[in-house]
Amino acid sequence: MKIYNFIFLFAFIVFAACDKDEDLMASGQSEVEIKFDNIAIVDGVQRQLTMVSPGDTSNFDYNNAMDQPFNITLLKYYISKIVLEGPDGAYYEDEILASATESKGYYLIDESEESSQLINLENVPYGKYNKITFTVGVDESGVSEGAAAGSLDPATSAMFWNWNSGYVAMKMEGHSPVSAGGASGNTVDPSIAKGMAYHVGGWKDIDDSAFVNNVRRLSYDFDTDLSVTGEGHPNVHMVFDVISLFGGENLIDFTGNNNVHKPSDGIPFANNYTDAFAFDHIHQ
Amino acid sequence: MGLGLIYSCQKTDVSIETLSIPQPQGFPEVVYPLHTNPLSQEGVDLGKQLFNDPILSIDGSVACSNCHTKSLSFTDAQHHPSIGIFERVGTRDAPPIMNLAFRREFFWDGSVSQLDFVPLAAIENELEMGESLGHVVSKLNDSESYPNKFRKVYPTMDTITGPLMLKALSQYLLTLVSADSRYDQYQRGEIQLTDEEQRGLAVFETNCATCHVPPLFTNEEFLNNGLDTVFSDLGREGITESSTDRGKFIVPSLRNIRLTPPYMHDGRFKTLAEVLDFYDAGVLPSFNLAKELNQNGRLGIALSSDEKADLLAFLSTLTDYNFINNPKF
Repeated sequence: MKIYNFIFLFAFIVFAACDKDEDLMASGQSEVEIKFDNIAIVDGVQRQLTMVSPGDTSNFDYNNAMDQPFNITLLKYYISKIVLEGPDGAYYEDEILASATESKGYYLIDESEESSQLINLENVPYGKYNKITFTVGVDESGVSEGAAAGSLDPATSAMFWNWNSGYVAMKMEGHSPVSAGGASGNTVDPSIAKGMAYHVGGWKDIDDSAFVNNVRRLSYDFDTDLSVTGEGHPNVHMVFDVISLFGGENLIDFTGNNNVHKPSDGIPFANNYTDAFAFDHIHQ
Repeated sequence: MGLGLIYSCQKTDVSIETLSIPQPQGFPEVVYPLHTNPLSQEGVDLGKQLFNDPILSIDGSVACSNCHTKSLSFTDAQHHPSIGIFERVGTRDAPPIMNLAFRREFFWDGSVSQLDFVPLAAIENELEMGESLGHVVSKLNDSESYPNKFRKVYPTMDTITGPLMLKALSQYLLTLVSADSRYDQYQRGEIQLTDEEQRGLAVFETNCATCHVPPLFTNEEFLNNGLDTVFSDLGREGITESSTDRGKFIVPSLRNIRLTPPYMHDGRFKTLAEVLDFYDAGVLPSFNLAKELNQNGRLGIALSSDEKADLLAFLSTLTDYNFINNPKF
């Protein structure tokens, strides 16, 4: 009896090994491109975002959910720790590195720099994917590595706070005729009337403390499967709607809220990320 | 085989000998992520040069060492609070620099929790050095000597960058380990303390060591020690935005405390005797006063004049002359 069991087990192992070989033959890796497209949804229609020059207080292309006109002079945010998952177990986790000579997996999406809006994921295993997960901001694991290069370089990114030391997850600046002015930022300053500056930071998680962590981990499902087969140019098109940044779960009133520079003031914006980001479509 | 040999030869050409930082007996593990910044003699030397170079400030007037003088355990010899660019006056007393490799929180309010970003905060502070990291980097790249010095530390670099500069500064700061005071020598069984110092140690262990926990002589907590009832400096609240943190500051290390007057975050006490008198009879009540300073219905810590004298003798054993006289620093 024991011998039969043993033979059965042996056969199973051989069979399993063959199965694995078949998997290997079908396996491989290729590139997937993720596009983060900043948009404004106006009257239900997606429009490419347009920015104005700093100090432009006469052209207002957009209205927030409270019907307050506004324009945009700066929009930047960090996307990091991207993960792709599929219905059949396909899984890709983007490599993360924050070193003094190089950073990987931390992407600074900058509306003023089109190339920054395209993220190229290399070595994505062949398979079907129907879900993307990413972090908006740079979490504690990134900060704790210390000074880092590339998109994280404080000298070039202008996305770092010293007073509450860490990376700012998102910056949006512009003007609104209802803004009281007095805002400080990279493209606005208190001398500019109607300025608005929203700097969403705060990354710390400490138990039993009042630290506000505005880093958010978000997941979005695709409407169809993305097939990574080594052929074609698989591309995931994500959008970020600035209107929703001000009018999702939390309405932002430009009259009283036009200058955000501390973590607690950033909470409503961070809570609006979920609705502001969206999966849009896939190219194969 | 041949390829391997060639490869190792090439590697030897650019490899830099890694230094280790001292791990004194009884000290906690190094907190700093050394894997991100392997120490080398070249890197430490570069960090030291940067630390002493006013090129880091906007008007070329302020080096780190202006307000962090080695002979005083890297505190300010002259000004309290310190004087920055354009003679701007700071708001808090310059803290000592020592044993930072083992620390999790930096500055009086814990505004920074990664050592690399500590010099950055001073460089870009409008009262201290008033610079931008980007501008410092361009000045370094334009200088005659710095590009070659950086290349010795980072052989593969193209240009000097902010992160490379901050890592070099950290290399130097990490080497500043103070663990050879008479107290340390006593702990290692190398010397005896005097009777007075022994008694002072006992008073310390009973009354002070809960917060000033050896061997770092701080528990790195933020506490309100009863200096005020109205707080002109919100302290930790400025970081956490939590009113329960009002007037809290980090428990300072007592190592080299004799060298670092005046005392408290705002330098209000000129001598340690004043500090002990304060803890004995000057602690003020407030809603978030440290519980250690409000025991059994009494504010502060009862200390007789004999106990104070003994305690002062003990605190003097924490001075590390080998640290402040170390030519490497």
